[in-house]
Formats: sequence, C-alpha cells, structure tokens
Amino acid sequence: MTLTGRTLSAGLVAAALLLALAAPAAAQGPIRIGASLSLTGADAKLGQYQREGYEYCAAEVNESGGLLGRKVEFVVYDDQSAPATAVRLYEKLITEDKVDAVMGPYSPSVTETAANVTERYKKVMVSPLGSTTSIFRKGRKYVFMLVSPAEAYLEGLIDMAARRGLKTVAILNEDALFAKSAARGAADVARQKGLQVVFREAYPRGHTDFSAVLTKLKALNPDVIAAATDFDDAVAITRQMRELNVSPRMFGVTVGGDLPEFYSLLKQNAEYVYGATQWEASLPYPRQREFIEGYRKMSGREPVYHSAAGYAGCAIYLLAVRRAGGIDSDKVRDELLALSTRTAFGDYRVDQDGFQIAHKMAILQWQDGKKVAVWPDELANGKARFPTPPWGQR
Amino acid sequence: MNLVITPTMIGQVVISGLLAGSLYALVALGLGLIFGIMRVLNVAHGPILMLGAYTTYWLFSTVELDPYLSLLVSMPLMFVLGVLLQKLFVRHVVDAPGLSSLLLTFGVAIAIVNIAQLAFTSNLRSVESLTGSFALGPFAFSKARVVACGFAVGITAAAFLFLQKTRLGKAMRAVSQNREIAQVCGINVQRIHMLAFGIASALAAAGGSLVAVMVAIQPGMGQVYTVKSFVVIVLGGVGHYPGALVGGLLLGLVEQLSSLFLTTQVNEAVAYIVLVLVLLLRPTGLFPGRSQ
Repeated sequence: MTLTGRTLSAGLVAAALLLALAAPAAAQGPIRIGASLSLTGADAKLGQYQREGYEYCAAEVNESGGLLGRKVEFVVYDDQSAPATAVRLYEKLITEDKVDAVMGPYSPSVTETAANVTERYKKVMVSPLGSTTSIFRKGRKYVFMLVSPAEAYLEGLIDMAARRGLKTVAILNEDALFAKSAARGAADVARQKGLQVVFREAYPRGHTDFSAVLTKLKALNPDVIAAATDFDDAVAITRQMRELNVSPRMFGVTVGGDLPEFYSLLKQNAEYVYGATQWEASLPYPRQREFIEGYRKMSGREPVYHSAAGYAGCAIYLLAVRRAGGIDSDKVRDELLALSTRTAFGDYRVDQDGFQIAHKMAILQWQDGKKVAVWPDELANGKARFPTPPWGQR
Repeated sequence: MNLVITPTMIGQVVISGLLAGSLYALVALGLGLIFGIMRVLNVAHGPILMLGAYTTYWLFSTVELDPYLSLLVSMPLMFVLGVLLQKLFVRHVVDAPGLSSLLLTFGVAIAIVNIAQLAFTSNLRSVESLTGSFALGPFAFSKARVVACGFAVGITAAAFLFLQKTRLGKAMRAVSQNREIAQVCGINVQRIHMLAFGIASALAAAGGSLVAVMVAIQPGMGQVYTVKSFVVIVLGGVGHYPGALVGGLLLGLVEQLSSLFLTTQVNEAVAYIVLVLVLLLRPTGLFPGRSQ
C-alpha cells in the first residue's frame, strides 16, 4: 500500500511540475525547427528513420520541460530524395514558414545543395548524415557535420592490421563517390602506418562477377583485403573469395558488413569478416539505453544508425542553443564550434569548417553469427578473432 | 610487389569467362529468337529473367524446393507470361513502323521492374544452396557456376535441336526467314509468334533461376542481361542461332580477360565497345553468310 501511495504522490508531483513547466512553454509558442527529408524516393527508408530520430529528440526535450522554456516542434517536408526539391523546401521553410531553426536533410547530395540555401540565410544547420567531406570544405560557415567522413571507414581495419604486424594491403572499391573516398582514406592510413598498398582497383557499380580481380588478388596474396563497398557487392566479393579460395589474414568491407542481412545471406561465410559502422546499439555511449528504449516505444522498431544520428544531431543543436541562451545563429554557431561532447551517437567535436573530427567509426567482426565491436579499444566489446583461418575452417 | 600474370591466372580467368559466357548464350538465344522471328527487340527480356530468379527464390525460401528443380516451374511459368505478353501487347506492334516495338517492350520492362519492386521490395535476396568450389589442378571451379553452365549448355542444346529437328522448330525458322511465304505454306504465323515469345521467355527464366544461386536477387538485376544479350546476338549474327552460343562465350571471355589484363572498371564498357566495333566492322556478325 505504501508503495502505491508513494508512486501516486510521486506521479502527482511530476504532473504538477510538468504543468508548471508547460504553462510558460505554451505561452511563448514553440520553437519550430524545419527540415526536408527523403520520405519518398530512393532513400525513403533511411529518411524515415532520420525523421523518427528528430521526432524522438523533440519528444524527449518536451517531456523534460522544453528548450529555454519553450516547446520544440518539427516542421518536416518530403524532398523525394531530390536535391532540387530540397532547395525549394528549405527556401520555403525559411522565408514562408519562418521557422526558428533548421536541421539537415538525409543524403550527402541533398545536403550539399540544401546547404547553399541555409548558408545564404545564415541559418545554422547541423547535418546528421551529410558524410561527404567536400560539403564542409567549401568555406561554408553555418553547416556542421556529425558523422565520420567516408575516408574514415577503413581506418580501423588498417590500424588493427598494422598493430598485428601485417605488411601488405590490397584495396578494392566500387566506382562511386563514397567508395572512392573510403578507398583513398584507407590508402592514406596504410601509408601512414607503414603498410604497403600492393593493389588498388575500382569496379563499376552493380558489378557481380569478381573472378578476374580476385584471381589477381590470389596471386598477390596480400595480408589484408580492404573493400569499399555497397551491400550487394560486399556479399558477392565475400562469396567469390570463398569460391576462388582467396584467404587473406584480414578481410573488411565498408557498407554492408554491418547489416544483419550480410550474415543471413552469407551464413558461416560471413564469419571473421570485418565491417565498419557509424553507430551500433551495443556501443557504450551515454544515454544509449534510454534512447534505444524510448525510440522503440515511440516507433515500434529498433533504431538504426540513421535514427541515432537524427536524434543526436538534433540533441547537439539543442545543447548549443541552451548554451547560447537563444537561437541567434551566430551565437549558436560559436557554441557548436566550441562544443566537445559525447552523445548516444558518439563523440562530437568539429574543426573551424564544421567538419567532424572526434566521432569514431567502429569496426565490427562477425563472430558466431553476432556482430562484435573490436575497434577502437575504448568502444570494443570483444576481441578480434585473428588471423582469419582458411575457408574450410570457418 | 608487382603483379605478374601467369598462365595459371589466365587459365582461371578463361574458365570464369566460359562459365559466365554459357549463361549469356542461354539468355541471348531467347532474345535472338524473338528478334529473328518478329524483328522485335524485347527490352523486357532481362526483367523476365529477374522474374525467373524470384520464382526460384520464393520456391526455395517457402517450400525449400531445390533451385535446379525450380527450373521446372520457372520456365513454364515464364513461357505462359511470354505468350500472354505477345498476345496482349507485342502482337500489335510486330509490323508497326519505326520504334513502336522498342518503345512498347521498353514500357513493359519498366512496368515489370516496378511491379516487382512493389511486390517484392528492393531488399536483396539470395538462394544459398550450392556454395564453395572444387579444385582441379591449380584451378578453382565455383560449384554453382559449373552446374549453371551445365544446365545452360543442356537447355541451349535442347533449344537448338528443337529448332533444327522438329516440325514446329522448322516452322519457326521458316517464319524467321520469310513470313509471307511461310504463311502461304500454311504456317499459322500468329501461333508461331506466341510460341517464340513463350520459348524465349522460358529461356530467360532458366537464366534467372540459374543466376539466382550465384548473385543477389533484386528487381533491377535483369536489365544488364538485356544489354549483354543484345551484344551477343550482334556478335553471333542476327537470326543465326548457333552464333548465340559462340557470341555468349566470346563475350564472357572478353569481359574476364579485359578485367585481368586491364582493370575491372572497363568490364562494363567492354561489352559496348565490342558492340560498336562489330556493328562498324562486321554488321552481319562474326559468322555471316548462313542466316537461317
């Protein structure tokens, strides 16, 4: 009985507090944050996840009394995954809807064009998923990056190889902007760490038969094969490595290796393969558990990295506003430039261009059907199984 | 550490090229059949291949039917679809001027791919049944690809025999050579057209069922086969059916060897370069003179 009584009174107190907080919030009107997202079109799924991240962020801050005593509200439009549409929508958000602030759209190409608009109106835009380095290296003052750039995807794999005394690395990449950047990044890190890049080759998008290039790799027999991939080519390469018996001591991919489908398609052939990820539910970040549980309750599904990035991007923006004491763009910008923090998405710190320099990619390895984070050390929840045994013993 | 290309490597790549080429030949034979008989370039050929692959996938994932046995379902199913396509759509444009038939099949192709996207989503699927490889001397043979090659050669040979030996096959070739005279001789041309479209679609479906075991299945997987088949029939000579086999193997070899000696990046361009060269230098194909 006492327990129920106590819970009841606690509930009443909480309700009273909420009412007290909500009253001024309602009086001042909400802070409206505008964004266009890829809710239909090529990136529809991922854009939806990002929107849920934004919505969860708003719900969370409103539950705890809002921002500077005001409620936070998102105004979201659908840019159909098209850069040109996003330009029009940001224009509309800023000039017609007169939103108080903006947040970034989904993909790098849409972010690139949308940033032209937000920059012109001097609106700060935190971009949760703009991962292309060039967006942030054009002298723009108001756009901020959250994720690790493409160049960082294979850094961990190369670092692990160097620490284990491996000497040679071969790099494959899909002939697309993202994969090319990732391959270049891997080659740079390899040179810095004293590994020899013995082979580099690109292949066209949608390529399915890798026997010729794998025949070359088999002859070269490098210690490490690092592949900057999309999902289907990551699967095809792994499968054909097995068929042609190409067995390096480490084999890692960029995109695709982190997805559950990678294992469900390849089964035991996915064992020992390394993948790279921006975020993983299992990583020991602050408030990770609360985020995952809250998100699950709100959307009915597990968050993916796009959801977490949307949530964290919004949370970082709100933190900067809180510190600046208002939504004035230049003041918030100064705070974002100075800020160094760790959210449920990982570390945040940017250089003078707004380019992300603290967030770490994590390297995962498939072990007994589970993804185990094996790099960097401070995020790892298991040890890498090294070296990768011959195909017959996996 | 420089890459030295050894005879063993060339041998390995030649094997891969021939294995891939046999599938190209199988699929191209269907495209060539339709083109030879109706002068219609069926852009929907690749998407029909994709439907064949999905048939295999669904049978495998729901009732665990062996992917090779699923040929017995996918081929008749796509045969029927082919006949329907001919009866409902293509029939009306067989003799239409200019690009009508190309535009029509192009539209059908887009419709099939988009319906597949709606019905199956664009999630990648795979049939994990025959994995790994066996070694023969210094060479590795992918099990799935060797078996696929065996089926491809078998089905292609059966199709040739059908065209050469049976009355119906002869009637098809007759229509392909001269429709009016064939008609005068009492051949039901409409029926032959439907049959040809059906057989061609069944061949595409066979290709789809066989590649289902090797690559990821998704709605857009077929289009590349339309293009490759087109190259193969141009190489082999339009209307010259055995040419498809040679053309297919040749394309497979050229693709793989160019990837070995140059880079994989040129792989896709190679098919087009071959196409342009053949059209410029030998517009009748590599084996002219015996149009049948």
